[in-house]
Amino acid sequence: MAQSEEVPSTEGDAEERRLIDRSAAGDQEAFRQLVLRYHRLVINVAFRALGELAMAEDVAQDVFIKVYKALPTYRHDKPFKHWLHRVAANTVTDALRRRRPVISIDGLEQSLVSAGSDPQDVAARHDLQRAVRYAIASLPPHYRDTIALQAFGELSYDEIAKALDIPLGTVMSRLNGAKRLLRDRLGDLVRPSEEANTA
Amino acid sequence: MLSHATTRDWLIPYADGMLAADERRRIDGHITGCPTCARELREVRELNLLLVTLPPAPPVAFAPFWLNLQAVLPQRRVLRIPWMQSHRRLGIAFAMAATAALAAGGSAFAAPSALPDNPLYPVKQLEENVRLALAPTNERLAIQLELATERLQEAQAMAGHHKPLLAENSLRAFRVIVDDAAAALKNPANPKAAREALHTLHVKLDAVERENASRGDDDEDIKQLVAAANDELDRIEQDEVAEPPAIVIGEQATPRPTPQPTVRPTLRPTDKEHGD
Repeated sequence: MAQSEEVPSTEGDAEERRLIDRSAAGDQEAFRQLVLRYHRLVINVAFRALGELAMAEDVAQDVFIKVYKALPTYRHDKPFKHWLHRVAANTVTDALRRRRPVISIDGLEQSLVSAGSDPQDVAARHDLQRAVRYAIASLPPHYRDTIALQAFGELSYDEIAKALDIPLGTVMSRLNGAKRLLRDRLGDLVRPSEEANTA
Repeated sequence: MLSHATTRDWLIPYADGMLAADERRRIDGHITGCPTCARELREVRELNLLLVTLPPAPPVAFAPFWLNLQAVLPQRRVLRIPWMQSHRRLGIAFAMAATAALAAGGSAFAAPSALPDNPLYPVKQLEENVRLALAPTNERLAIQLELATERLQEAQAMAGHHKPLLAENSLRAFRVIVDDAAAALKNPANPKAAREALHTLHVKLDAVERENASRGDDDEDIKQLVAAANDELDRIEQDEVAEPPAIVIGEQATPRPTPQPTVRPTLRPTDKEHGD
């Protein structure tokens, strides 16, 4: 789960800094290059959170618009990528909460482990993933923001700490609380199949 | 052996691989004899499995994504308009000049000296854009250097007035201007004048840094921006003296002497001088 942090070269840093400064001054070509570097990352976060490509692209656009507007206030004291992750996680969870559908947990009591390539299993898996996404969106904000970075952004504990500017211990505590709540809310969905059947 | 409550508290970081080896061993010891915690650990792992198997996005073409995004990006002032067709530049410049004249009205004479915290500052920016857009190619570099100097004077003033964000904005705008002028500075019509201009910019940057450092709570971002700008000027300076290699056909070319970067007197204050 934990990913090794990318360490860009000093030249890469300088180039990115230049692109950020130029974008902040209104240079759309520089911003285009920034978007080119990071659009996959942002669309991926949005897609993992929303599960639909068209919606993910729309939300990714919202992320970049927010970034473009906020760039003049961006301070280079933390990596741009971490800042971008934070904006992306906030935006996708907001979008998730706005579009929260009614999901019946009753119909989803099938473990992911048991799901194979059968169409019914695939549908059940999609429903399960959707239930998880919306359970994340319904968490209290401090838990939601933290676990969104892990689940949708695929960040390690250390990267989450940097993105949110909080100590590593706080990340552990928040993820602990978030996952306990998720387990409570998802109930049998996260119970291993043999136990769910005998329960 | 760990208590039941402590083990439950640490199950999630345990499943995420965040515990040290000795902590893991202690939890392993408890789980072996505790079916409740063992079951809870399986649930935590099931949840983790769900989280990591959220599928990644399929590939998305960049061009349509950017075009859609660009169409809704808010407009912001742009310092550089070199890619525009000349007639379009002229038309826009004329419209900007007219707008500037109307907007500035009787205050037009006050605008050139306006600082970023002055309400007339946007008028000043507009006037500068017009000047740059209308400038003949052979005068463009001189105007860019003048504007770059102006940005540094603004940054110095804003640092002195304890307005670090405005100072940072001026330094970023300075970088944009220098970046635009870099090509012309590397191949100047008058190399001596270009070197002198670069030296002047270094001196102005030093002044911004001194102003920032003179305050007890000097701004770290300003320091970094000044350092980055100095590096940029150094790069331009080094490239400027480098000449293209001579092309010789049929015999061994005589290598040109390696160009040395221009030595400039450093006016930057040392840490010692400022007692940091």
